[in-house]
This record gives sequence, structure tokens and C-alpha cells, in this order.
Amino acid sequence: MPSSTSNFKRKLRLPRLFFAKPSEIIPRDYERPIPPLPWRGLTVVVALIVIAAASAWEFYCRSIGYRPTLNDNEDLWTMTRRSVKPESIVIIGDSRAWFDLDLDELQKGLGKRPVQLAMGGSCAYPVLADLANDESFHGTIICSVVPRMFVAPPGTPPMERGEKAVRRSHTQTLAQRASQYLAMPLEEHVAFLKQEDLTLDDLLKRLPISNRPYAQVSPRLPPYFGTLDRERRARMIEECAWPGSELQKRIQQIWLPLFTPPPPPTYIPKEEFGKKIGAAIEARFHDVATAVEKLRARGGKIVFVRFPESGELKKLEDRETPRAGIWDQVIKKTGAPGIYYEDYPELSGFNCPEWSHLSAGDSVEFSKRLIPHLRKALQL
Amino acid sequence: MLFNSLTFVVFFAVVVSVYWSMRSWNARKYFLVVASYVFYGAWNPPFAALLFSTTAMDFWLGRRIATAKGRRSRRVWLVGSVCMNLSMLGFFKYGNFLLQNFQWLLSRIGIIYQPPHLDILLPVGISFYTFHSLSYTLDIYRGVLQPTKSLRDFVLAVSFFPQLVAGPIVRAGDFLPQLVTPPGLRAGQFLWGLLLMTLGLFEKIVLADTMLSGSADRIFGYAGPLVALDSWLGVMAFAGQIFFDFAGYSTCAIGAALCLGFHLKDNFRFPYAAIGFSDFWRRWHISLSTFLRDYLYIPLGGNQVRPVRAGTNLVIVMFLGGLWHGAAWTFVVWGLLHGSYLVIERVIRGLFENKEWANNLATRLLGGFATYIAVCVAWVFFRASDFTIAARMLDGMFGGHAHGDAILTTREMLQIALVTAGMILVHWSLRDSNIETAVTRLPRWVVTAAWALMACAIILTQGNSNAFIYFQF
Repeated sequence: MPSSTSNFKRKLRLPRLFFAKPSEIIPRDYERPIPPLPWRGLTVVVALIVIAAASAWEFYCRSIGYRPTLNDNEDLWTMTRRSVKPESIVIIGDSRAWFDLDLDELQKGLGKRPVQLAMGGSCAYPVLADLANDESFHGTIICSVVPRMFVAPPGTPPMERGEKAVRRSHTQTLAQRASQYLAMPLEEHVAFLKQEDLTLDDLLKRLPISNRPYAQVSPRLPPYFGTLDRERRARMIEECAWPGSELQKRIQQIWLPLFTPPPPPTYIPKEEFGKKIGAAIEARFHDVATAVEKLRARGGKIVFVRFPESGELKKLEDRETPRAGIWDQVIKKTGAPGIYYEDYPELSGFNCPEWSHLSAGDSVEFSKRLIPHLRKALQL
Repeated sequence: MLFNSLTFVVFFAVVVSVYWSMRSWNARKYFLVVASYVFYGAWNPPFAALLFSTTAMDFWLGRRIATAKGRRSRRVWLVGSVCMNLSMLGFFKYGNFLLQNFQWLLSRIGIIYQPPHLDILLPVGISFYTFHSLSYTLDIYRGVLQPTKSLRDFVLAVSFFPQLVAGPIVRAGDFLPQLVTPPGLRAGQFLWGLLLMTLGLFEKIVLADTMLSGSADRIFGYAGPLVALDSWLGVMAFAGQIFFDFAGYSTCAIGAALCLGFHLKDNFRFPYAAIGFSDFWRRWHISLSTFLRDYLYIPLGGNQVRPVRAGTNLVIVMFLGGLWHGAAWTFVVWGLLHGSYLVIERVIRGLFENKEWANNLATRLLGGFATYIAVCVAWVFFRASDFTIAARMLDGMFGGHAHGDAILTTREMLQIALVTAGMILVHWSLRDSNIETAVTRLPRWVVTAAWALMACAIILTQGNSNAFIYFQF
């Protein structure tokens, strides 16, 4: 029978295992072959070519108007989401809230610096639901409503964009977080790092190749026309704001197909598809109302805002998604206050250079003029 | 930490610099253990504890197996190791799957049972490191490996970061001997390792993610009927995507290991040039197929038993191989299809192998083509998230939707065609060779240009850090 002393010794041996001398295993002779090449010289040449090519590409991108700026991705969004405090003022929704609101002005007028959680081309609902489900949050939400985005059904890009960001904020790994911190200084100094405009995939998509008649071509997204800082404040670049600039015209022509409803899929009868979409919109109203209710129950506040738009895009939106269709329903079903820019002369006189967003200068003025309405709506 | 992330670039640069600047071999190994656990912990730190406990248990059980007196007690310790590893895998990976199937079975006999949904987070790479660790006790039991005295060495063998989360499944018996003597820093080996890492990242980021994944996702995600051309192109896109994704990871792992002075074996050997399915499995995910061969197929009797039994063994092995990939019946069907392919091939070989025409060029090419097509058909079940999608895809591929939709753009079709054609051409031209020989034969300027081009393409894609497909397994 082993004594307690021998047991103790055995226990002591355990940690020592980790520090034992190398084992007595016989080394194996398996080695991968290494191609006999002049590796040092070859690597130097490769490094020089890559540096030269990257520099040339950077120079070219700058020469056609690109400037370094942060990419908006789930990790940057998560970083900002993490800064939301229980009583924060949070901006959610689409790119209009992103470009048209100036955080400095809002801070002056509302007494707190808002947290910018709006995302380009995204639906507000996933973020609204996330904040409503966050038991610690009882602050204020400023929610932009672009009708087509706001009621985008599940599975569509605007919904997926929001859902992806929210999911990342709950599951972000340490490595993803570190990658974002490493990426930011690079993006702030290198102009060609544009994840939605200058990647190989984007460049391939621009190849002028004609398609089969029924090929489903996803509408093009606008090229680079704004900068983004670490607080996710977006500002339109000057070239886009110049009256009649080439960039401005290009973007205007991109919005129209992007805001035009796609044809119903061929494999579902038109009526059935219409019913499905109608049901999805009703479900969204219900979900939004539930989220708002939940938020209010904790003392939180929300205000819906319709931001300015211009030109053909305004005509298209007024035709396809009239105010009575979605905006009025959202306000009615949630019982929340709403600010529709057209209702106020001081908010409706702005011109959006590329029809959808305000210029950086106008966004400051617009924010100033919006503040009294926000204060009134939120009873501040 | 993903290979295709900025964090890994910095991590790897730091690890390589510190590792090679250390003089003591023991210190280097400790450092690699720490680095590997940091690499793994960057996903979810608590799972590093799980990894360590599995490893420590197998280390202890390995010694028990080696010192046990009788065959019976050796077997008891081995069963302990197998049960521990498989129950860990079973709980994390198959917990909900088993519960759902149990619920379904009860409902067949009229019992309504609503099991709670277990909110289980799957530890990344569990299928891989479980097999790394398990190979140790299995090899000790088989008498082909002596247990190591150093827990540190074994911990490093299991957790060595290049191969930790998505393979290759490096057996302890292949890795532990490399920990005996310190490798020297050799410029050629280090830089060849870097080139392999560039190639692996190029395969993943450029070929899999940029050129193919979008089309594959669109086709498999389309809810309507598709014409045959689009269906086939979608499946071919996935066939290419999964190869470049997984082979890319393995190539990166081999390259990263070389930079640190370690040698990992090939995990892929130009699989789309396979003639027949046994040839395919000698070329695809070699570390898994040899693992299943050595630890499952041969113990079951291998091909030393009657043909019917050997065929059954093949199907059993491929069934489990399918299940290893994921907790879903679609993976099981994928495995069973490959099992059936292997059985059919065995029958055909038995009938025609000695015929003169069976080995001529035309037959070989036809055999290669038929293998590729059959492998593509099996990929449908691997990629489809349920049988409805798989059935719709197969229906489209075999002409069931003559008036279906044609959704791919010309650019997407060209990308799939060019990448697939290039991939098959390279696989056929190198099927009896290896990448080292090919690179040695190429003019130096071609190697230089290819390396530079791959690096530039990686920079141009800007890497969105998409996870590797095999991480989910």
C-alpha cells in the first residue's frame, strides 16, 4: 500500500513533468525539400517589386481623388458600440444620419456627445432591437428613416449589414479587436485601402462585360465620396459637393437603380410576393413598436427623423415610398415623436449635392437647426 | 487568430523574431507553447483551458498505456483516452444534433419530448486538436511511439499554432521527434516558408474568397429553380472554393512551421487530378484520410477481409469521416456518397484493372473527369445547409429546371471557368510531382514574378478576414 509520503512525492512530480528534460525519442529524418534557389536575392527583388507596385497604386489612387480614411466595418462599429453608456444619446439608421449629423453641434445643443451607430446602406431595426434588448441602456435614440431601408425584409443586404454588425459586437474576439486597432492607423495613411471600392473584387466588377438577359446583376454601390473618423462621423468630400462635379453626377445615377424596387423573383407569383412583402412590412412595424415599447419601459427615449433628399432621388422616393405609406405608420404604431424635414422650412431648404446626403458644411448647419426640434421631441 | 488578419501578421513577426533570437532550445519551446496558447486564446480564452486539460489527460493516459502490464489494462487506458476525447467532441460538436435526433426518434413512436436547446459554443478547431492528441495515445497503444517524458513537448505537439485549428492533423509521432534537437535558422527554409505562406494566403483570399465564394453563395442561396449551367457552375465554384480555402490554410500552416524550423507533411496533393476515389482520398485532406485509415479502417480489418466486409468497412469509415465534418445529416450523406464511390470503384477495378485499355491515356482522362464530376455531385451535400437545397441543386444540375433562372453574370461565369480550368490544369500537370520540384524547374524570374504577383493581389484584395471554411469543423 503506498504511503502518504509517496503520494505526496508523486504529486510533486506532476509540475516537474512540464519542466522535464527532452524526451528520448529518436529524431526522425522527415524533412520537406527546399527548392535550391538563391532565396535572399529573390526575396529582395520580390520585396522591391511589391513596394514599387503598392506605391504606384497608392499614387494613382490619390491622383484620381482618393484620400486616406477609415473603412466602415463591423469591427469599427463594435468599437463605437462599446462606447455606449446607459444614458448615451445614440444615432442609428442609414447613411443619412451618418453624413447629415454633426457630433460637435449635437453635443453643444443636447449637452452630451452622441454615439454614431448609423451605417451606410443599413436597416435601423437590428441596432434598435439590440439597444432595446440591452437592459443597461436607457438613453436616447435618434433614428433615421429611409423607408426602403427601414422596412428591408430579413435576408436583404440592409438587414444583413445591421445584423452582422450587431452579431460582431456580441462575438468579437480579441484577435478581431486587435486587427481593428492595427488597421486604423494604416487606413488613416493609405488611400487605396477602401474595402468597398478599391478591392480586387470591386475592380473586377467594373469590367465592361455584357450579361445574359436575365442575369441578376447587383446594383453598383457608390464610389468613395466621404471620409470617416474614429467616432464614425462621416463627411462628404469636397469634390462630391462641387456643383456639377463628375463624381456627383456618377453617384446620382447610382442612387436611382439602388432605390428602385427590384422585380419580384420569377419563382413566386407576383400576388404572392406582394403579400409576402406586405406581411414582412407589417411584421417590421410590429417589431419596431415592440422594441420602442421595451426601451420606453426602462425610461429610454426615441425620435424618428427623416433627413433631406433632393432631385430625381426625392421624386423616386416620394413615388415609391410615399410618406403616408411607411413614415406615418412608423410614427403611428410606435407613438414616438417624428421629425420630417419637409414639415419645417428651416430644415427643408437644404440641397443634397448627390441627391441623398448633405455636404460636410451643410451637415453642421442642418444639425444646428435640427437641435431645437430634437429637444422639443425628446422633451429635453 | 486568422492567418489572413493583421493581428496574425504582427503576431507572427513577433513570434519569429523572438523565437530565433533565443539561444536555449528549451526556452524556445516554452515560448512556442505560450505563443500557441495566445494564438488559440485570442478566439476565446476559456477554451485554452479546455485544450490544456485534454492535452494533459492524454499525456497522462499515454504514460499509463505505456507502463500498463497486461494487454487488457493497456486497452482500458486507451478506451479511457478515446472516450475522453470523443465525449468532449461529442458534447461540444454533436450535443444539439444528438438531442434533435433523439427527439425525432421519440416522436416517431408517439412520445412528445421537447429537449432544451443547449447553448453550446463550439471551441474552434476541436475536431483537429482532439485528433492531434488522440493520435498520441493510439500510437503508444499500437507500439509505434514511446511516450514523451516532457509534458511541455506534448503540449507543444498538440497546440503548435500553425496546425492547431484547421490542420493538417499532425500526429504526435511526426512532431515529437522534431522537438528533440533544435533546428537551425536557414535562410532558404525560412524564405521558402514565407513563399508558401504567400501562396496559401493567395489561394484563400484571392482565389477562394474573391474569385469563387460569391458565386457559390449566390447559387446555393438562391431560392428558385436554376438552369443546369448555373447549377453546375455554382457547384464547380464551391469545389474550387473549398479546395483553395482548405489547401490554402494547410499551405500557410506548412509555411509558418517551416519559418520556425518544423516540417509538416503535405495535406493536399493536387486532388482534382485524381483518377478514381481511392486516388482522390490519397490526395485530399491526406492527414484525415490517413488518420481514418490507420486508426479505423485497418483495425476494422481493412482490405484483408472478405470483399463485402471490406466494402462495409469503407462505408463505415466514410460515414464517420462525413460526421467528423459537421453535426448534420447532409455531411453524413456526403460521407456515405464517398463510401459508395469507393465501393463501386473497387468493384470496377476488380473487373477491369487488368484490361489493356483500362490504363491508356483516354481511359485515364475519362476516369479523371468522371471522378471530378462525382466529387462535385458529393460537394452539393457538403455545401447545402439542408436536403431541400441539395435536392433543388441536383435537380438543376441534371436538367430538371430547363426553364429555370440563369442568374450568374458573365463576369462570374468567366471567373469560375478560368479559375477552375487553371486549377485542373495545374493539378494534372503536377499530379505525379510536388510543388518543390515544380518551383525548382521554373525559371527564377517566373518564381520571382509569381511571388510578387501573389503578394500584390493579396494587398489589392485588402483581406476582409473571412474565416476559413474548415474552422467550423
